[in-house]
Amino acid sequence: MTRHSDPTQVQLTADGRLKHFLTTEGLSKDLLTEILDLADSFISTQERAVKKVPLLRGKTVVNLFFENSTRTRSTFELAAKRLSADILNLDIASSATSKGETLMDTLWNLEAMYSDMFVVRHADSGAAHFIAEQVTPGVAIINAGDGRHAHPTQAMLDMLTIRRHQGTIEGKTVAIVGDILHSRVARSQIHALHTLGAKEIRVIGPATLVPKEMQDLGAKIYYDMEQGLADVDVIIMLRLQKERMSDALLPSEGEYFKLYGLTEAKLALAKPDAIVMHPGPINRGVEIDSAVADGGQSVILNQVSYGIAVRMAVMAMAMSGQAAEQAARKNETLVSTGDDA
Amino acid sequence: MSTLTISRAQLLDPSQGLNEVSDIIIENGIITKICPTGTAPQTNDHFDAQGALLIPGLIDLSCHISSIPSETLAAAQGGISLLCTQPNSKPIVDTPADVSSIQQASVQAGNSQLFPLGALTQGLEGDQLANMYSLMQAGCIALSNARAPIKNALVLRRIMEYAKTHDILIMLTAEDHDLSANGKMHEGPTANRLGLAGLAEVAETTALAQQILLVELTGCRVHFSQISCARSVEMIKTAQAGGLPISADVAIANLMYTDCDVNGFDSTFYVQPPLRSELDRKALLAGINDGVLAICSNHQAQDIAAKKAPFAASEPGMSTLDSWLSMMLTLVAKGELELDSMINACSILPAKILGFDTGLKEQQQANLVIIDQTADACYLAEDLASAGKNNPILGDHLKGKVQLTLSTGREVFRI
Repeated sequence: MTRHSDPTQVQLTADGRLKHFLTTEGLSKDLLTEILDLADSFISTQERAVKKVPLLRGKTVVNLFFENSTRTRSTFELAAKRLSADILNLDIASSATSKGETLMDTLWNLEAMYSDMFVVRHADSGAAHFIAEQVTPGVAIINAGDGRHAHPTQAMLDMLTIRRHQGTIEGKTVAIVGDILHSRVARSQIHALHTLGAKEIRVIGPATLVPKEMQDLGAKIYYDMEQGLADVDVIIMLRLQKERMSDALLPSEGEYFKLYGLTEAKLALAKPDAIVMHPGPINRGVEIDSAVADGGQSVILNQVSYGIAVRMAVMAMAMSGQAAEQAARKNETLVSTGDDA
Repeated sequence: MSTLTISRAQLLDPSQGLNEVSDIIIENGIITKICPTGTAPQTNDHFDAQGALLIPGLIDLSCHISSIPSETLAAAQGGISLLCTQPNSKPIVDTPADVSSIQQASVQAGNSQLFPLGALTQGLEGDQLANMYSLMQAGCIALSNARAPIKNALVLRRIMEYAKTHDILIMLTAEDHDLSANGKMHEGPTANRLGLAGLAEVAETTALAQQILLVELTGCRVHFSQISCARSVEMIKTAQAGGLPISADVAIANLMYTDCDVNGFDSTFYVQPPLRSELDRKALLAGINDGVLAICSNHQAQDIAAKKAPFAASEPGMSTLDSWLSMMLTLVAKGELELDSMINACSILPAKILGFDTGLKEQQQANLVIIDQTADACYLAEDLASAGKNNPILGDHLKGKVQLTLSTGREVFRI
């Protein structure tokens, strides 16, 4: 029963290097730290007049977005360009699949264009993993969000934000507030926080939006926001989608804000130097009060700028992992043709 | 006049209290003699079982058949004598004409015998009764709504009352489709980790509770197809102890695998009902060892494209006819399933549920299978007669190789 590919291992080469970036789950502390360190070094290049580095020169990156997302797509596009890659944006949501083409057909067509990397966003959990298993060896897959499963680049930019503003992740208490059930961001954050040594991970929200199985991932569940925010170092607010009301998961935005909206009064329960984060786009007055979103403890806009550096880091690492694997494969073929024993 | 002599077979049929090495003579499809080994007269057509196991042929209470020739051949090779096919085929089996076309195609294929299950509601839409009596007259063995929802409890009550009037056996799946909430796998830690929509156990148990209460009210004979939860086994046992005319089966997939197997997003493990927890799997096995539950193949062949998609976007089902018996014998070899209980669950109990008189006895139509119980069985895609290669056992080492299958007196497979 272990024959099936473990989703956490598909993304690694035989010697443990990153070759796809599908999920933060199962990645070692060293590897996650390597991503953060490399992203840190890119941040300094981003402040220069000439921002480009040549790591992906001559490579073709395809942004394959089956779900619309202007922000995430733009940061991936900028990241690829700053690595000197050629980039192609495909808005699949409005083209191929609506004409009845299957995901496999789309993929084969794109492979015929000799792309080196796909950045994939898809509404189905496991889509990026599925594509990673199907593509020709040598092509890297970066998950830009799959269903409710994972959004690893968002989680890593959040880790970078915590590290830069709190100095470290180790020993910190982090609260994630809101719609945990539907959140791929929350799942990826929990895995990363866990590996990077956070002291405590809390998830806060009503039982309709916080599955009790979150405990199995190592998170502590709080239904009461005041209790959940007590003495935390980091507060991560999640976006509330409008359809949660029509799905009978919540009565109203008003009642949600009353119970789980982040106000200055609630923020005061956290540590005095606590930071406030949000993956965006924010709903002012629904999950977060404007005064808090724009206040001194908010690092929401910093997150956006770190996003480019983190995406540059994972793209560069995955591409080099693929190159190393291809080189190793070539060597193996040479050896095996000379040695039958 | 055709005569087949089988010699040196280990006959095992708990329903007849039979467990001995014997010879068996079959004339014109009828078992005419079971005698001590070495005493049967020599005939032209002779099969030396060399001590292999001979058991009553398998009876599959639920499978989905798309192409009759290939799928009934898979059944024949898999040791299945008789199989009930769900009405959600193309076209949906909701008229007598649909029934007879399946029967004709089954005769023409000449493999294991198919028994069509007719639709309970027109077009399986769940609101208007199909011509239930006419469907039975046309030769349906029972009626079912496959896994399609029945509109509400009132329609279900009427179905049961009407079925009771004409003594029709109905097969139901217990699922509250609102509570299922479009879930794709068992609601639990794995679903949460993978971010796949969960299908809660209560979607099955609340529906089952309602259906059992309606059986109590109407007295209708009901068979529950493919239960998947530990709690359901308990409910079935309690209801049976209370004297209700109900029975139930479980799909082989739910005995072999659990929700943990979905870990790699492998769409081969996307089945309905979903694979549940290890606790559920153990309880279902116990229900079989206790003689309460039957086992069905719940075979559903899917082509490669239907499964080559992200988990939730793929089509459900597992192609199990070829390997059903080997899968069960593997559970026997592991000590999870008793051999007698297995034979009861895949042959004796299904016969009882469908009202067939079978079993290894003289003057009985021959429905039997000879298996080399301990032989290694490793199936590759090209070994499967079924059009569907969607089965996670491919490449695994299972137990048991079928040597001979007789269906309604006809030899449909010989190694």
